[in-house]
Order: sequence, then structure tokens, then C-alpha cells
Amino acid sequence: MIETALKALFILLYATFVGFMFMGIIRIVTARIHRRVGPPIYQPILDTIKLLSKKSNITHGLIYDFGILYAVGATVLAVMFIPLGNVGVLRAYGDLILITFLLEIPMLGIMFAAMSSGNPWAGIGAQRALLTLLAIQVPLGFAIVALAEYYGTFSTYQIVMAQQTMGWSIAHLPLLLAAIAYDLVLQAMFGKEPFDIMIAPGEISLGPMVEFGGKHMGLLNIQHAIALFAETLFFSNIFLGGGVVTAFASPILNTIASLGVLLVKQVAVLLVATFMAAIFPRFTIDQAAKFYWKWPTIIAALGAILASL
Amino acid sequence: MEEITFRIAPESKVRKKPSFLKPWMSIKYLFKKPVTIKIPYESLEPAKDYRGFHTLNWKTCIGCNMCGQICPARAIEMTWIEVDGKVEKRPHPKVDYGRCTFCQFCVDVCPTNALGFAESYMLTTEWKDEELQLFDWVPIPPETFREIQESRRDWRFPVERIKFNKETKEVTYYLKNGEEFKFKILGYGLKPPAAAKPKPAAKPAAKSVEKKEEPKAEKKEAPAKPEEKKE
Ligand code: SF4
Ligand code: SF4
Repeated sequence: MIETALKALFILLYATFVGFMFMGIIRIVTARIHRRVGPPIYQPILDTIKLLSKKSNITHGLIYDFGILYAVGATVLAVMFIPLGNVGVLRAYGDLILITFLLEIPMLGIMFAAMSSGNPWAGIGAQRALLTLLAIQVPLGFAIVALAEYYGTFSTYQIVMAQQTMGWSIAHLPLLLAAIAYDLVLQAMFGKEPFDIMIAPGEISLGPMVEFGGKHMGLLNIQHAIALFAETLFFSNIFLGGGVVTAFASPILNTIASLGVLLVKQVAVLLVATFMAAIFPRFTIDQAAKFYWKWPTIIAALGAILASL
Repeated sequence: MEEITFRIAPESKVRKKPSFLKPWMSIKYLFKKPVTIKIPYESLEPAKDYRGFHTLNWKTCIGCNMCGQICPARAIEMTWIEVDGKVEKRPHPKVDYGRCTFCQFCVDVCPTNALGFAESYMLTTEWKDEELQLFDWVPIPPETFREIQESRRDWRFPVERIKFNKETKEVTYYLKNGEEFKFKILGYGLKPPAAAKPKPAAKPAAKSVEKKEEPKAEKKEAPAKPEEKKE
């Protein structure tokens, strides 16, 4: 019992810290592509500390506060279900559909809070976010179906174990197609550039986030960090072979090695997303919906069909 | 009549095809050196004759108020000054950097080249009243300014602090090189103030200024008015 709690705490701290580093990496890489220097890598941590120590906090009622906590809670729960190398609290139950679902819940939480603020910008942002959420379901569903069809299981941990023997998922054509579709979907899940329609800085002044300040924004930053970690982790687990290393005799060395391997894979996923974010301009919401229902859907459906043959 | 052909680039040559792959070219910048000046560690040299703060040669300024008239922001006010117990015969311009646009018209128009400028351009203060005094000064002589600028090369305002004593009207500039620059402000405007008159030594001088100054000022004011209307 205590061991599980400690494990959960470790996962939480690790996810938060690495998530913040990821946010820092995104900022540095984006800056370098713009030929700037960029902030130090720990800048998001400083930002969050600053936000959490603000004196005035605006609240618009219970749902406004609850929505944020709901988002953070869902993200934390998602992290607990995803196998993190050979550390995992609930990894035996972490099936694909559950995790996919949990990764989308935070967006709903933010929508709750945003809508209850009564700000029209937040309303527009929420609309756009929900439409994006709707649009990404189709390719996402097909990608999951392709995976489940190929491996014959929904359990993420079993998929990771299967990749140990059969090679990485992206080495197989049907799953490669699913991975491409999923990577495009990731862009919207991160809220990164071609599909950052719901945040849209400069277009609808931060959208849902427009009313948040102080502690709410700080919590959202933490949520974003954990979500980045969770989404990259999930992608690395199901498509890049996860990270279960059994090369060393000592279990601690194994754990560290598998975390390191996973980290490399996660950073790779993150870098692809950052490159896309840095070089492509934002879609409008109708273009995004059309896009998601066209190319990623076709690719992922093809993958699903190939996987079931 | 000769026919004129206008050259227009055809649409086909201007319009490019959208591409999915080409944006990826910009990733090459990831590995290039950032084009950035790291400001606290590196500094950027302003161009020679960059229009910065003013300098004033107190010896050659004749108090003609040409600068005050041309200034588009009305940032220049004539100031009567007493240095070391001696009233200056002519008023000197006082520049208010809260309004100045750094157009340097005043420098171009000065008939004796008394007003000049140096390349320093940085002046930052907090909101405190005593710090805001820095924005309102009678420019210091060019040699002093240049000396401070050369020795520090941080392109900042050469005065650290300005102290104005309301009772004695004594102004002290604490220069960045540690020197103090002291004088008294007796009054403002083109007319010599009462404080300048009772002194027997200054009396004749002040009067002659008054005689010369007043008709001049009136003449100058008249053509200035239609200009204002145009604005
Ligand atoms: S124009 Fe030149 S000489 Fe005339 S008052 Fe101004 S600074 Fe002095
Ligand atoms: S630089 Fe231009 S705005 Fe500033 S005092 Fe001279 S004339 Fe006025």
C-alpha cells in the first residue's frame, strides 16, 4: 500500500518535472528555429512559481475553480495508467480507450472553467476547442482500432511487451500509418501550432485561458506540463516500443535505464511536434475539422484495414 | 503621342505553389548561431551622431530662444541661471525629456552651435518624484558629457541624480564621474526674473537683455502663430 503510494508520488513528481523541462525544450527549440536564444530551460518552472504566488485571484464561482482541478486530476490519473517503463501503479488496467479518454478529459475541465467565467472570448475558445476535440476523434479512433486489431489486445502494457518481441509498432506498415495519424492528432492535443485553434493567441486572445490568472493559470501550467509528459509517454509506449529494459541485473539500474530510453523517445516525439508548431501557421477551425476528417482519417483507416487483413 | 508600356510582372511569376514540404526547410536554422545581442553581457554601439541627449555650451549660448521656438514638443524652456554667485547674462534652454522627441531640430537651428547632442540614449527611473527630476535638465557642456560617455560607454544619461532645493533654488547634478555640478535657477521664461535684478553687478546686464529680448520675442512669436494653426 505504502509502496504504491510512494510509486504514485514518484510518477507524479517525475512527470511534473520532466513535463516542465519539455515545456522549456519547446521554448528553446522554437526560439532556435527563429534564430533567437530563448529562455533558460527551467523558465516554465519560474513562470509557474510566479503565477502561484500572485496575490489576487479572480474566481467566478465553484465551477470555475472545480474545472481546473478536474483537468489537473484527470491528467494525473492518465499518467498513473500509462506504463512508465517498469514503474507503474495502474498499468495493468491501462487500456488504450481509457487512456485516450483520460487525455481528453482535461480539455473538458478547462472548458467548464472557461465557460463559467462568462467571457465571450472564452466562449469562442471553448467552441473551437470542442470542435477540435470532435474532429480529432475520428483519426484517433481509427488509430486505436488499428493498434488493437494488430496486437489483439487493448492493454497498453501488453502492447509494450509485444513490441519487445515483435519490434516497434512503427516498423509495421499498418501501424506506421496509424502512428502518422496519431502524430497529427497529437498536435491538437498538445495545443500546438497548426491546430492550436482553441488557444489561438493573437486571434482570440488566449481563448479559454483568457480569464484565468494567478493560481488558476499556475495550476493550468502544471496540468499542461503533466499532459505533455503523458501524451508523449503514451505515444512512445504504443508506437515507439515503450521502454522496458531488462539488460541489467539490478532492478534499480533497469528502471533508470528504461526511464532514460523512454525520455529519449519522448523528446523525439516532442521535437517533431515542436518543429511542426514552429514552421506551420494556424488553421482556421473549419479547415482543421476538414483536415482531420480527410487526411489523418484516410491514413488511419487505411492502417486499420491493413491491420485487420 | 508615343505609346507608353507599363511593365507589370505576370501573375504566374509572382504566385507560388503552396507546399507541404518547403516549410520544413526552416528547420535548418535550428543549428545556426542565433542572431541575438545578449544585452546585459554584450552591448550595441549606437551609430555616430545617433540622436541622443543634448549638450549645451554655456559659454556660447546667447539665449536667443531659437531652440524654444522650433521645438515641436515645446520641451524647451528658457531658464535664468546663477553660477557661483554670478547671474548668467542670458537665459539657457532647459530640456524636458518627458516631452522631447529627440528630433534635434533645436540643434540644427541654434545659431551659435551652442546646443549639441551626444549618442547616449538610455534614461530609466522609477516612479519616485526625486528620480523623475532627471528628466528635466539644463544640458551640461559637451566636453563633460563626452568624457563621461567615453569613460563608461554604457550610453546612459550622464547624471545620476538631480537635487533641487526649493528654498535656495539650488540645483545639484551628481554626475556619473563623481563630480557635482552646481548652479541656481532664478527663474524661467524670456524676461529676467526679479531675483536677477537687485544684484548691482548683474543689473545693467540683465536690463540690456530685457531690452533686446522683449521686442525679439514678440517678433518671433507672431510668425510662430500661423504655424501652430497649421498643426
Ligand atoms: S538656439 Fe542655441 S544659442 Fe539660442 S537659446 Fe537655444 S541653445 Fe542658446
Ligand atoms: S530635440 Fe526636438 S523635441 Fe527635443 S528639445 Fe530639441 S527640438 Fe525639442
